[in-house]
Amino acid sequence: MSDNIAAQEARLGHRLIAPAALIIALLILYPIFFNLYLSFFDVELNGDKSLVGLNNYKTLLSDGGFYSALWTTVIYLAGTVTGTTVLGLAVALLLNQNFPFKNTVRALVLLPYFAPVISVVFGWQFIFDPVNGIYNHVMVEVLGLVSERQNVIGDPDSALWVVIVFDIWKHFPIAFLLILAKLQSIPSDQYEACAIDGYNAWGRFIHVTLPECRFVIGTVVLLRMIWNLNRFEDVYLLAPNVETLPIYIYFQAFTGVIDQGLAAAISVVQLIVLSGLIWFYVKKVLNW
Amino acid sequence: MLLLLFCLFPFVQILSTSLKHQADWGNPSLIPAQLNFEAYKELLGFSQQEVELPETIRMMLESPAISEEQRAAIIKKFTSTSDIFPFGRYMLNTFVISMVTAFLSTLIATFAAYALSRLKFRGRNAFSNTVMFVYMVGGVLLMVPLYQMAVSTGLASTVPGTLICLLLIYLVQTLPVAIYMLGNYFRTIPFSLEEAAMIDGYSRTSAIFAVIIPLSRPMLLTVMFYCFVIAWNEYLFASVFLKQYQDFHTLPLALQTLFSSKNAIWDRIMAASMLTLIPVVIAFSVANRFISSGGTAGGVKE
Repeated sequence: MSDNIAAQEARLGHRLIAPAALIIALLILYPIFFNLYLSFFDVELNGDKSLVGLNNYKTLLSDGGFYSALWTTVIYLAGTVTGTTVLGLAVALLLNQNFPFKNTVRALVLLPYFAPVISVVFGWQFIFDPVNGIYNHVMVEVLGLVSERQNVIGDPDSALWVVIVFDIWKHFPIAFLLILAKLQSIPSDQYEACAIDGYNAWGRFIHVTLPECRFVIGTVVLLRMIWNLNRFEDVYLLAPNVETLPIYIYFQAFTGVIDQGLAAAISVVQLIVLSGLIWFYVKKVLNW
Repeated sequence: MLLLLFCLFPFVQILSTSLKHQADWGNPSLIPAQLNFEAYKELLGFSQQEVELPETIRMMLESPAISEEQRAAIIKKFTSTSDIFPFGRYMLNTFVISMVTAFLSTLIATFAAYALSRLKFRGRNAFSNTVMFVYMVGGVLLMVPLYQMAVSTGLASTVPGTLICLLLIYLVQTLPVAIYMLGNYFRTIPFSLEEAAMIDGYSRTSAIFAVIIPLSRPMLLTVMFYCFVIAWNEYLFASVFLKQYQDFHTLPLALQTLFSSKNAIWDRIMAASMLTLIPVVIAFSVANRFISSGGTAGGVKE
């Protein structure tokens, strides 16, 4: 009898996950292998392909563009991960205190995270616009730090920094949310005990807050790395001249001299790195 | 205060520029010298200004040398409205596809999340690990195979096929986060409630509809909001699949095209950005009480 119920339950379970499992298998798992397969071919936009073996990978390794994209990605990741985590932690500590309109402020802080990329990039582009933008106005006319107006986004080197600041602006709210949720769960008697031991606010931060938040900060760092490695839209729409790996793939696959096989090969490399990070996340962070 | 300034300044900048006259753009002050709603009127199709035929053309038309047919063609060419940006249409496109995505994704995810959080079956761990993994693999890595699949099945060459592809892709991008958030939430609902319903004669399946769904309504709304925003904001796949079907462009794609096609129209771009932003802000303020309470803190995905 109980066997029967268990079997029934299992059948219902299978039926319930079937639609989701089907879509995921068709659109994620199959494409991952298809991508690996495609990376050994020379692939045209219309679907024609011819086997080239490891040529795409050889091209990749001798391609200066690939290395520079890799380097840009590393800087981008380092800058954005540090920035979002530090700012997220600072803001979480700040907004964990009591003050009037607390909930409104928290909601407003989250706004950049939910706002459509496409609308906010134009605001940012306007700020840095060489003719009208307020950035140049402040730098040149008000502070006099720079002698003439510059096209900050037009130059890939400085655009990378704009993109990093933009990403921090847009994504620190999620770090803030995760850390805030953790802060609120720290029992206040720990702080009291620490205060009795004679520690000041800074000491309480070092001895209570940081150890308690270690895991959530680890989570934030890894998740931001994983997602920023995949980030396309924020970078491409704000400054397409900043070539991180995803943008490099997009250019290879859909613009100029189209080489979808090469794009597939880059995706494979990136996927391997990504899987490494995910594995690390699952093994370490989720088991903490 | 400084924090709010940092967070909100770009939004204020967008609003301010959208309301400024062209001559006022270089002015760093955020308050427009004179309010100008032209950009909004134009985007929303309220300004149906008559197109004046240039004098020379009118003289040409009066000359008896051209036929009636040619005359009609010339008039048509000069009064054509094809350069007007059909914002309403793009907004509708985006709204429809985002709503459908949000609804279907939440529905499918409800089933899957229920199974994961309540039922024992073979492959449950494998499935939940796969969802976790998929949750972190970005679409950008799979754009080549997905595009090639759409081409080889012939779906990419027709409009309905393309829309189906796009919808499926949006579904798979929103499903993991929806399953994850809902699964966590369902675990907080005491199983005894369902048991009570089943003792009252409900079957297991109908107990889901009678107990779980009504109890989860706020969470379901939040999840729908998440999915809606993900689809509303999506640019990459829209650009890959919809490029050739201009009538079906979504807002992100249309705005990007608008931005790269014409110069010196900051007010229109900003007004369009503002209008793209507003539905999200509305949805956000509705869903916010659930989000900022930290209930969804685990469900992060962009």
